Amino acid sequence: MANKTSTHAHPKHLYHHFIDSEQQFSAAKMGMWIFLGTEILMFGGLFAAYIIYRAWYPELFTMASHELNTIWGAVNTVVLIGSSLTVAMAIKSAQLNQKRNIAINLGITIALACVFMVIKYFEYTHKFHLGIYPGEFYTFDGIEHPKANIFFSLYYLMTGLHGIHVTIGIGLMSWLLWRSLKGDYDSEYYTPVEITGLYWHLVDIIWIFLFPLFYLID
Amino acid sequence: MSGHEHHISSDKLLLGVGGALLLLTIVTVGVHYLALPSPWSIIVAMIVAVFKGTLVALFFMNLYWDEKFNLMILISAFVFLALLVLLTLIDTLFREIPVPSF
Amino acid sequence: MATAEASSNMKKVQVRRYKPEENADTNYLNAESGLRSWLLTKDHKRIGILYLIATTFFFFFGGLLALGIRMELWTPAATFIEADTYNQLFTLHGVIMIFLFLVPAVPAILGNFFLPMQIGAKDVAFPKLNLASWYIYMIGAIGTIFVIFAGGIDTGWTFYMPYSSTTGGAVTFMSFGVFILGFSSILTGINFITTIHKMRAPGITWGKLPLFCWSLYATSIIQILATPVLAITLALVGMERLLGIGIFDPALGGDPVLFQHFFWFYSHPAVYIMIVPGFGVVSEIVSTFSKKTIFGYWAIAMSSLAIAFISFLVWGHHMFVSGQASLANMVFSFLTFLVGIPTGIKMFNWLATMHKGSISLKTPMLYILGFFFLFTVGGLTGIALATIAIDIHLHDTYYVVAHFHFVMVGGMVMAYLGGLYYWWPKMSGRMYNETLGKISALLVFLGFNVTFLPQFVMGAQGMPRRYFNYIDQFQGFHQVSTIGAFILGIGFAMVFYNLVKSLFNGEKASANPWNSRALEWQVASPAPPHNFDHIPVLIHGPYDYHKPMADFQLGLAQTNGHEPEMGTHIEADKEVEMKD
Repeated sequence: MANKTSTHAHPKHLYHHFIDSEQQFSAAKMGMWIFLGTEILMFGGLFAAYIIYRAWYPELFTMASHELNTIWGAVNTVVLIGSSLTVAMAIKSAQLNQKRNIAINLGITIALACVFMVIKYFEYTHKFHLGIYPGEFYTFDGIEHPKANIFFSLYYLMTGLHGIHVTIGIGLMSWLLWRSLKGDYDSEYYTPVEITGLYWHLVDIIWIFLFPLFYLID
Repeated sequence: MSGHEHHISSDKLLLGVGGALLLLTIVTVGVHYLALPSPWSIIVAMIVAVFKGTLVALFFMNLYWDEKFNLMILISAFVFLALLVLLTLIDTLFREIPVPSF
Repeated sequence: MATAEASSNMKKVQVRRYKPEENADTNYLNAESGLRSWLLTKDHKRIGILYLIATTFFFFFGGLLALGIRMELWTPAATFIEADTYNQLFTLHGVIMIFLFLVPAVPAILGNFFLPMQIGAKDVAFPKLNLASWYIYMIGAIGTIFVIFAGGIDTGWTFYMPYSSTTGGAVTFMSFGVFILGFSSILTGINFITTIHKMRAPGITWGKLPLFCWSLYATSIIQILATPVLAITLALVGMERLLGIGIFDPALGGDPVLFQHFFWFYSHPAVYIMIVPGFGVVSEIVSTFSKKTIFGYWAIAMSSLAIAFISFLVWGHHMFVSGQASLANMVFSFLTFLVGIPTGIKMFNWLATMHKGSISLKTPMLYILGFFFLFTVGGLTGIALATIAIDIHLHDTYYVVAHFHFVMVGGMVMAYLGGLYYWWPKMSGRMYNETLGKISALLVFLGFNVTFLPQFVMGAQGMPRRYFNYIDQFQGFHQVSTIGAFILGIGFAMVFYNLVKSLFNGEKASANPWNSRALEWQVASPAPPHNFDHIPVLIHGPYDYHKPMADFQLGLAQTNGHEPEMGTHIEADKEVEMKD
């Protein structure tokens, strides 16, 4: 910031209580990181429940995992990784002032996120057909274990909460897309793209852990 | 104030990290079909997952170049999560009557 | 106005002395007018006032519920209400006092108002988020109050499983309300940490950060790390009731003790969310009213962080009789004793600050002296309760009730009221009535002790908490306690009357009525709309009472009537030194 000597240039995105754009940008980023910390602990409660029940009933988790389709889980992992990549590309495009590429990359990201949700939808409905409902509505009798319902409660809670986050991400990303089409973001100001990107990567990281914990343990 | 310019990742780096993540996904699924004996399958899967997560955090989320406090936030979130899990486990693993005694 | 030159090892800057304007024409209260200007404000000071109004209302509402509880306990069994109503009374009293008053009070009112001023910023880092947090708080609060009309709730504020998944009433609604309140708390925490990191004015190094800011920093750490676990736990309670997911419900194969783990992982640190900001207020007031540099600055600052960390390691001491493993009992008991160390460090440093100080016994200081006595009792009885063998006897008795009221009311509320009196001139521009202030402080102190000291005795003799009925031998204790509650209530009402009355006919406050060295007192009273007309520069710390007043009130000199050159901005963590 030492080289920003223009005193009176006051860009329109700069709020009055910040000294300069750099302070505003790094504050927004730190705020987002702290929020991501809270997200980790919110998911963490469910991860803790998973670990505790797994320590109690290791055999249940191996048996019940057979009902989950590894291939579709892997496809979804690839889809989310791809969307993470395109978000990172969108930020890079913003930094290089390639306004059109911001929109293109965001568009691909939204499309991939939708693919993820569609696959999730088919996975859920397939289980509902078998009678694998969450909680006390669980009627499936293919697993010889009295606590099979607990495994699927955890499955629905964790992937469900993750799905909610993906959906919120789609919403945020659509808003970014709309604003980037208006040309609001450039190399001087791309804070919303950056911090939404951070959020999206965290959603990706959580799935990176959910995938082996549910799909790869049978 | 930090005077440094924002880091701009090159296409090569981003695609390289994306490729590595793809490769690791294939590896972890492949290992799954090898059907390793019980504790090892999950251990290998989790090591791969941690590695993938680290790649995303460092290079997609730019923590590698960012101010270190942001990295500290991420690490402390995991540390406190570990506290939740470990201190709960010293109860649940050591109960006289193991599981819910109702 | 003398101009001096300050230099850092980076650059030299022009520093100029700014005397605060007395009786300034515009301040944050009259800069804009109309209800709309308040409801859509992004000014941290006005948001603090919005929180003040809301929490005061809920405090008195919760207080009335407490009086209802005490009146009901005048005689064994039914005095004037039924057992079910009684259960709802104590549940609501707990929920309202904890989630609507204790958690937001000091951070969201005093913290919102004074954190930016103490670090020389114009506002918090995210003003819109700050306003959003107030709205989220109000939505959660209204939801919580609405529970009364939606069938009530009788689980106690702890929502223990499996009772909370089977009982009738509005548990789902209530857990949703508290879930929302949690987000408000998280947003405040995010805002404060970012503000402290990013918004400090030139010269405000970590070593010159006022201790109130340090305590808010520690509090925010707890808020952001613990609250999300409460959110997910309450979401699970809701899911348990809606879908029967069975994680916590033994009827479906779950484990209710797991609920207690998750719940106390938040709710024990939450105790420190309530009390640690109070510690910060105490540090400010003790130093100001002893006219002495705070003793052991770093010890006090670091002990706040230590308390924040240790608070996450001790939650199991609420569960000694829950069927938790003996190993866990021992570990948690041991870790709990550790909390006493940083808390003791604070107490000794405050007392050392007062030693040979020139102490003036104004109302804020009276509250702090009360705090010292009551919080020590509360803390030491906590050590007793952390001992497993003693806890087995005292668990769920009135001893516990007295203990946490000594910590929460005797500690946090006393510090909060002290802070409110202390900063009232800056918030309202008026002086309160000192005589009335002192009388009410003594009444609060007296009423509090009459209410809760008997509860230690009857608790130790076996009177269980939350019981509607009791055996005759306890009636004397209960009646003394009830009388005390009314004295306490009158004391609080007098505080309210005194402060509100000062708004109408209080003496106009000068900019710095306490001769404080802290930054928030170096501007006009009430505070100017954007806090500082200049970018403040700090050369001395906020507690340097041995330095002349003239060394304070410094700001970057303005060049040609414009904002100072940004190039002269000093690295916030570099030392700035006066050079005449």
